[in-house]
Amino acid sequence: MTSRSENLVVEPVARLIDELARLPGIGPKTASRLTFFLLRAEAEQTRTLAEAILAMRAQVTLCRRCYNITVGELCAVCTSTTRDQSKICVVEEPLDVLAIERTGAYRGLYHVLHGHIAPLEGIYREDLKIDQLIARVRSEPIDEVILAMNPNTEGEATAFLLLKDLASLGVRITRPARGLPTGGDLEWADPDTLGSAFEGRREL
Amino acid sequence: MEVTRLSLRDFRNYQHLDLPLSPEITLLYGPNAAGKTSVLEALFYLATTRSPRVGADRELVRWEAEAEAGVPPFARVFAEIQRLTGHMRLEVIVQRRTDEDGQLTNTASKLVRIDRRPARALDLVGQLRVVLFTPADLVLVDGPPAERRRYLDITLSQLDPHYVRTLAHYQKIVQQRNSLLRAWRERRRSPRAVDDELGYWDQEMTAAAGYLLAERLRAVGELNALVGPLFQAISGGTTPLSIDYLPSLALHEARDAGSLAHRLMQELRNHRRDELARGQTLLGPHRDDLSFTVGAVNLGRYGSRGQQRSVALTLKLGEAALMRQRAGDAPVLLLDDMLSELDAQRRAHLLEAVSLPGQQTLLTATDLADFRPEFLTKITRLRVEEGRIY
Repeated sequence: MTSRSENLVVEPVARLIDELARLPGIGPKTASRLTFFLLRAEAEQTRTLAEAILAMRAQVTLCRRCYNITVGELCAVCTSTTRDQSKICVVEEPLDVLAIERTGAYRGLYHVLHGHIAPLEGIYREDLKIDQLIARVRSEPIDEVILAMNPNTEGEATAFLLLKDLASLGVRITRPARGLPTGGDLEWADPDTLGSAFEGRREL
Repeated sequence: MEVTRLSLRDFRNYQHLDLPLSPEITLLYGPNAAGKTSVLEALFYLATTRSPRVGADRELVRWEAEAEAGVPPFARVFAEIQRLTGHMRLEVIVQRRTDEDGQLTNTASKLVRIDRRPARALDLVGQLRVVLFTPADLVLVDGPPAERRRYLDITLSQLDPHYVRTLAHYQKIVQQRNSLLRAWRERRRSPRAVDDELGYWDQEMTAAAGYLLAERLRAVGELNALVGPLFQAISGGTTPLSIDYLPSLALHEARDAGSLAHRLMQELRNHRRDELARGQTLLGPHRDDLSFTVGAVNLGRYGSRGQQRSVALTLKLGEAALMRQRAGDAPVLLLDDMLSELDAQRRAHLLEAVSLPGQQTLLTATDLADFRPEFLTKITRLRVEEGRIY
């Protein structure tokens, strides 16, 4: 596809097609369609798009404290005066913060690891913001750390390592419950989920 | 248990097949490459979600199968089965994947339904239980250890849903653990806090391994009780066959899952240095083996061809007997071109086993001359030619 577009299409167009095709979920065909759309679009529209991309790169940084994405030094959660400063919820990705915020059920702070332990993918302890988390728990008035990693093998491996590191720091360590989805149906639940829902049952 | 109906669409060389099956013996006969084995393969696939022949699922889709209305070519295997607990419908669709330009890729996706409900492939394993006999079973005796582990794993996976899940989890954990060990060995990372970093993988690995080991040991114990007399009858000798489980670590007295996991954990700690030097997981069920002895002779190494064939056949009949004993329900026996390989005595034993009451069997042959006329009158005969059954 690359060689074909280079041969038949003038260089600036081919270049954009190739760049777009490198994005996740976009193949050569979609890349061509987008490129030709932009070619015919108003000059204003292409400029806004290009500027948005550049501005995103230039302005978005990681929060100095919790490593969530933000503009400026600290993120909105870290600067807020109404958040509970004694709780940290540890998540794998910035998108997980959004998911938890949407629930409105949590008013504490966050810490974004930017990944999970996965030796097969070449992701190890030092590739995550783990030391930064330990430093925070040591220096801030934290009394509870919530390990909200994904409930899969890699997430569990990450939680296991964190548990080891945090155990000696004298904080409460919790994990969100695992179990049945709201509005779900017992008979449709897979055995693993149903099993952990029973293990994690609670007194009424 | 029995398959009452099998239907195929674009599976191997079958464009379309809808086949009601007899609860007793069905003989599929016809020339080579007609599609006899594909029928057995389809049933094996429904039972295990694996083909005994190919690695890649996409090869199951008939070559000439065409995309319809933008839907990429797919193969469908559907069976109605009758178990002690009732009637069930099992279905697998293997669909070839296309890239963005609509070109077929080398990958395929698998869709499983049990009684019309979408299910995971692992949930399908063991709904239908089969034992496949082929001349290639000889590798169980003279082949590499992986073949013998596969024999135990296929048997136990069909009997125990927890076994198949634990095995899948175990394999994933060992892969992750190997990557971690390899990174240290290749000096891509400095080996600091090795015990902490291996902690999770060791814990998950040993917990899963404990269960796998306990179940394998129990199965080998039960198999021994079954294969002793079977082997004597098949080989015409007086000495029974004995199967030994050869673990990759000394188990001492450990037999239950908990103490086996504990044993493995101890040994993993003792072998840290070796594992770091080799960059792989050296202990566990994925390194174990079976040995077959008669008297004091190891038949894998010193057995004659004839003895080895007897052992392979005994193992398969033992597998069927174990399933019958545990599940209270006979597995479906699939005999692929077996009779031409066997001498008169072994053939008689095999035919005796398939003639048990309540036993459904499908067998393939190229030549009816392998069978006695009185056997042929008792069974259902189907002629197979070029992907059609008459």
